[in-house]
Amino acid sequence: MIGQGEDKEGQKSIEQAILEYLEALYGYAMSLARNPVEAEDLVQETYLRAIKGARRSMPTGDLKAWLFRILRNIWINQRRRAQGSELLLGIDIEGLESESEWTVKNQQRPDTIFEQGLLRENIRIALESLPEAFREVIVLRCMEGFSYSQIAEILGCPVGTVMSRINRARAELRRRLNKWADGFCGK
Amino acid sequence: MDFVGSRRAVNEHVIYQIPLYVDNELQGDEQRLFEAHINACASCWAALEYERRLILAIHQARPLYATPEGLREKVEQILQNHQPISKRFSSRTRRIFVATTVVLGLMLAWFIARPTHIPLVRPSEFALVAVDTHQRYTRNQLPLEVISSSPEEISTWFAGKLPFNLKLPNYPEDLNQSKPYEIVGARLIGFKHDYAAHVVYRLHNRPISLVVTSETIAQPSGGEKIPWQGLLFHFDVINGWKVLTWSDKGLTYALVSDFEEHGQASCVVCHSGGQDQHKFEGLKFR
Ligand SMILES: [Zn+2]
Repeated sequence: MIGQGEDKEGQKSIEQAILEYLEALYGYAMSLARNPVEAEDLVQETYLRAIKGARRSMPTGDLKAWLFRILRNIWINQRRRAQGSELLLGIDIEGLESESEWTVKNQQRPDTIFEQGLLRENIRIALESLPEAFREVIVLRCMEGFSYSQIAEILGCPVGTVMSRINRARAELRRRLNKWADGFCGK
Repeated sequence: MDFVGSRRAVNEHVIYQIPLYVDNELQGDEQRLFEAHINACASCWAALEYERRLILAIHQARPLYATPEGLREKVEQILQNHQPISKRFSSRTRRIFVATTVVLGLMLAWFIARPTHIPLVRPSEFALVAVDTHQRYTRNQLPLEVISSSPEEISTWFAGKLPFNLKLPNYPEDLNQSKPYEIVGARLIGFKHDYAAHVVYRLHNRPISLVVTSETIAQPSGGEKIPWQGLLFHFDVINGWKVLTWSDKGLTYALVSDFEEHGQASCVVCHSGGQDQHKFEGLKFR
């Protein structure tokens, strides 16, 4: 079985190393596909391509980012095929107001939401309600801890784009969570 | 940034830099200016605290989705069936590869030497079954169950069907290099109340059968014994077919071909030197 310790040199095999990211990849796949069956397929296809790729040449650099990039490419290609036209992830964020949510109201009561307890379920609902491109960067940055440059690599876009997208995604998330907090507090 | 500029910047709210700061993406002067302002500005400090808590709450919400039961097993299966051959493939795969290569090399030596006499030692039952399998395949009496030139696909197809684990080697690794031999496909065959693997290769358009079973089920015997690199090969000619059997790492193999029968001109094993010889050297494990 895979996962039975390490080899003689004390190094993990590539199989063991990439298997460690299974949960993270599934989470990312769910954030893109929002469908457990599709997400599972995406993850399996990712591992298949990863191990085939590793056979041709061992990946250099960050293994986790490499796996995420593979998964994302598969997803984008599937979407392209399904839609029969060029897909631009992020096209759904153009209409959204940017960086508009740092209001005085927020600053005066920064703790309110957290005092009430920001439950996992609320975060999940808020995240799922975000446009895909925003949801994606929040997952990559806040959940998986990728740096901006790693995210740029995964997304295949400039770091500046990542920066502004994360800003806008967080602003949008704050806005949605504030709405929830307003409802919760009856304000 | 000059000193005057820095003074001015300290007095500007830094709200829009908060996500960058929280994400450790501010450095040098930018970071120092940000911290200087935060320490002096209650509203930016409050916003920073808010952002920190938000990020922490999001991070702590991980994982949002439980990984489905069984997914790990499915992925493990995928990985097992696609072990990279380069640096860390299993010792068994490596040995199969070495053995196959050695055997093909032996066939070269053997066919060039043209032995006219094989000792009259009764061939093993496994060798007889292997020859029978190959013969029926060449007569189209034994259709393959999986047609593929991909060793991974064939290995995947065998996974779970055999009482042992079989991984076919892939050579050469470099996709741009032409393969000296190719896989045609495979099927299961019955041998002693269990399944054995039958894999058909093609070398210069000529079929070669590789039959594999467990060493506990069959042990090679008979024919001409040739020790080679720690393995003992048994050569035999059965009904005009050439068969080599050997055991390695718990598995027993039989390789059957008809090189002599099909003449020499098109056969790599009969060529000495030149391009084909080079190809044969390419078969050797590095
Ligand atoms: Zn301020």
